[in-house]
Amino acid sequence: MRDKSIVIIGGGIIGASIAYHLAIMGAKNVVLFEKNYVSSGATGRCGGGIRQQWSARGNVRLAMRSVRKFETFKQELGWDIEYRQGGYLLLAYTEEEAESFENNVKMQREEGLHVEILTPESIKRRFPYVNTTGVLLGTFCPTDGHANPHLANFAYIQRARELGVEVYTHTEVTVVETSSNRVTGIQTKRGYLKCDVLVNASGAWSKDVANMAGSDLPTESYRHQILVTEPVENFMTPLIMSFSKNFYIRQTLHGSFLMGQGDPDEKPGINYRTTLRFEKEIATKLTTVLPFLRNMRIVRHWSGHYNMSPDAQPIIGRDRNVENLFHAVGFSGHGFMLAPAVGEALAEMILTGKTSHIDLSDFDMNRFERKLVKEKNVV
Amino acid sequence: MKMEHIERPELLIIGGGPAGLSAAIVASNHGVRTLLVDEGVKLGGQLVKQTHKFFGDEEFYASKRGFEIADILVDEVKRSPNVLTLTQTSVIGIYEDAVGVYDRTKEKVFSILPGYILVAAGASERFLSFPGNDLPGIYGAGAVQTLVNQYGVLPGKRFLIVGSGNIGLILAYQLYQAGADVVAIVEITDRIGGYEVHAAKVKRLGIPVLTNHTLVRAIGQERVRGAVIAKVDEHYSPIPSTERELVVDVICLAVGLVPSVELVMQAGAELIYVNELGGYVPRRDFRMRTTVDNLFVAGDLAGIEEATTAMIEGKIAALTIVEELRNLDLSEEIERLQKKLSIFRSGPTSEKVRRGLEKMGIHYEGVSFQNVKQTPGLEHKLKPVIECFQPIPCNPCETSCPTGAIVVGDNINNPPKIDYEKCTGCGICAISCPGLAIFMIQEDYTGNRSLIGVPYEFLPLPQKGDVVLALDRDGNIVSNAVVEKVIKSKNLTNLVYISIDRDLAHSVRQIVMPESKPASYVCRCEDVTVEDVMRAIDAGFTDYEELRRYLRIGMGPCGGRTCSSLALNLLTRKTGRSPYELRPQISRPPIFPVPFASLKGGEEDEG
Amino acid sequence: MRIENHPILRFSRARRFVFFFENQPVEAFEGETIAAALIANGIDTFRLSLRHKRPRGLFCAIGKCSSCLVEVDGKPNVRACLTLAREGMRVRLQKNRGVVGVEDGAH
Repeated sequence: MRDKSIVIIGGGIIGASIAYHLAIMGAKNVVLFEKNYVSSGATGRCGGGIRQQWSARGNVRLAMRSVRKFETFKQELGWDIEYRQGGYLLLAYTEEEAESFENNVKMQREEGLHVEILTPESIKRRFPYVNTTGVLLGTFCPTDGHANPHLANFAYIQRARELGVEVYTHTEVTVVETSSNRVTGIQTKRGYLKCDVLVNASGAWSKDVANMAGSDLPTESYRHQILVTEPVENFMTPLIMSFSKNFYIRQTLHGSFLMGQGDPDEKPGINYRTTLRFEKEIATKLTTVLPFLRNMRIVRHWSGHYNMSPDAQPIIGRDRNVENLFHAVGFSGHGFMLAPAVGEALAEMILTGKTSHIDLSDFDMNRFERKLVKEKNVV
Repeated sequence: MKMEHIERPELLIIGGGPAGLSAAIVASNHGVRTLLVDEGVKLGGQLVKQTHKFFGDEEFYASKRGFEIADILVDEVKRSPNVLTLTQTSVIGIYEDAVGVYDRTKEKVFSILPGYILVAAGASERFLSFPGNDLPGIYGAGAVQTLVNQYGVLPGKRFLIVGSGNIGLILAYQLYQAGADVVAIVEITDRIGGYEVHAAKVKRLGIPVLTNHTLVRAIGQERVRGAVIAKVDEHYSPIPSTERELVVDVICLAVGLVPSVELVMQAGAELIYVNELGGYVPRRDFRMRTTVDNLFVAGDLAGIEEATTAMIEGKIAALTIVEELRNLDLSEEIERLQKKLSIFRSGPTSEKVRRGLEKMGIHYEGVSFQNVKQTPGLEHKLKPVIECFQPIPCNPCETSCPTGAIVVGDNINNPPKIDYEKCTGCGICAISCPGLAIFMIQEDYTGNRSLIGVPYEFLPLPQKGDVVLALDRDGNIVSNAVVEKVIKSKNLTNLVYISIDRDLAHSVRQIVMPESKPASYVCRCEDVTVEDVMRAIDAGFTDYEELRRYLRIGMGPCGGRTCSSLALNLLTRKTGRSPYELRPQISRPPIFPVPFASLKGGEEDEG
Repeated sequence: MRIENHPILRFSRARRFVFFFENQPVEAFEGETIAAALIANGIDTFRLSLRHKRPRGLFCAIGKCSSCLVEVDGKPNVRACLTLAREGMRVRLQKNRGVVGVEDGAH
């Protein structure tokens, strides 16, 4: 298996992590194609948060494994990716939200995750810059954190290259050749390449790639916007987030504040433009929650895409129609933080048919025929 | 009504430079509800920083100084009932849902939904990479122009300019006007980039323009203290053996402009790279429309050029927008302006722009021009000598001449021809010429002396009878000269007539006042001059100790030995108070600077 | 250094006032930016760069390069080239990324 030709489509962090993990597990013949440049898609546009506080158990497990791997990232890959475990502070503003937070924490604790439930008073004491008006409670997981997505993406790509993976950027896979429900090869502007395994890690374009290979995916891409301020000296350690108020914000190690919100009116499709409305809404909202932001300046604002699945959980594993096609898509906005665990698990799955840390059956694409457990903790 | 005008203008013009202002005037004249926003404190764009007279033709304010053109355009815009202007206001983005506009004075962002947008946001300066390029004292040329010509602040005393395009040349001249020294202009290519007349103005002031030279590095730890320059080889690499150090405290980078395409890019307009136009520029048609239907461009953003063409482009864009908004046929006026543009661009100085526009499928015909042979003769007669050899689009000599003796002709790029029969020797052409390229000459003046009239835009203005230094075209002092008369002009280009040795009549082209920058120092340690002390006394520092604290006289290493008596003397003269009333400088130890080491006990004693 | 006499231009310096740079009084005139006033007084280092702590001053003069960020009345990252000097304002050399005054969140 290790000599088989494995082609990965997508040079974002998911594709890069898969490539890297395949290579360290001894795969000899791995080629990665990226139609644009490394981290040009959602990875390079994302918020960079790393969270374990999920409402769906499978996500908690995947995230906890990822955090283990982020904790040793520097030693393992030799790259400082500005990783900081400052925790995630989730704020509940409604009774319903508070109740579901308490249920989530119970489940998360069952999984061995250390999560605290904080009263508004203790939030105020620990994070005095937060305006707790309207906050009913908060949950705080100190091992959550954030990192620089570009650096993490580049680290995986560079290490993969050093381990023998061929990485081609600005090379779009234009044709996927199949024969009796198997992928046999792919076509790019560089020519034809025979392949034994094809990995779809194409993020926002996941459905297109699946279609090219003669399959389909229930994914849709939605634009999300983010903005960042000019840097100031570091002081805000946790990423702060609210689902009912619809925001997340963190301070990067470099000093900028990076923040985003979702837009329920967004139509599916690729759209890289930005709206003034986003800036106005997020400014209005966040200067209330974090009054210190008043004197800070926005320096950049951009958009990227969430590749949404029907239950807002990723699709990881073998395609159900094309037997040598694997997917790692539909991350619904959380691909960056899950990438280390996903890369590891999918590489194991491809090379050995089983996984050592994660049960990928929670994420297979057949689950959409069963009853869905939707991940609710999403901005 | 006003909010409506701000939030839903029929036309939003971004940038209040020559292109934007011209467009606003046209739009307003046709009743189009126009909003014009500009980042600066004052409208006028780059024009407000320009002290030199502009080339071009009368319709576009030739022979007026840049800041005066700005005043004229701004006045007209301010009088227009249909134009609302917002200054200190930055367009922060052309978003999917609106145009975002940040008013710095109110610290407020507005959403604007315009019918049409004309982006005339100009250009930004190129930076240059060399060791030490981040030190304080290194400025973009535009920054220095802002400081010097808008605020009247000189950021240093000795300047090096990198780049000999028009901006570098004009800046050198402006710095000289402001009383600074320009040590050199370095130009990496083998020829001067700007107009010959601008280069000639600078050269005859003695400012060397060093072609085939580059800046190697800046010297200085905490700020610029000097610069290393060197000759370059055919690959533009510095030749180490030719390195030399210049003592300068400011390095100005005048190495070109980049169109500010950020906004048109956000709006989704297609950009193409056209080196000749400054890099990435929006693709646009003859009417200045980009690939986005209601988005137009004009001026430097559409391709680096100059103010006249920016004004014409702004008008063409506005007329096209008016046509669509009001369903009018304005093609006649548009064609007239197109023709004007094509004549402007037909000369050799527009060759690059023509090549650039060609790449966008916009074709302009180039015309070849023959140099006009000067036929002076008539040595007894006072007459202009026109030293304008490079075809540039400019004709104030023709339009200012009261007797019709000077003819440029149909194509504004033609070098002027003069009919000496019709010329009365009035000198108006010399005063009007934006390039200061016309000189008055009468070879047979008195005895073996000739009379030369040179345009003069510096201070102090010489008086009749003054003895001045006469300089040749390269700024070399060739003799003394006596000022015969001074014609003061309202446009501030004065004509100074000097008499000189007849042999020099065809070489002298500039005068300078001897010791025009008197350096009478009171205090050498702190470079305090007589003038400084006088000014300080005028400002109310009439006690010696006040003067000392204000000017640091006597605080230097000399301890006041050279300066205190001089300063007291000046104070006495200026205030009429006797030295008896005034108190001398308080003496403080040590009166000679000593190192710390010299104050601790010697080792021999301890041993 | 302020230009007192210019052959072409007139500089209207109507109201004179004083502000402070690093606690030292600086003379300014109405309409001058912080940068223009500082440079007129021979001050051309406005900040230290983020990584290498290099001295930086005015460069572009039009708010485009962030070379001239200063702290004004405790607020960091103020563009000296665009911000008008005001009487009594306290300007400081910005030595780091700037420290945000974190007010009490409950208000």
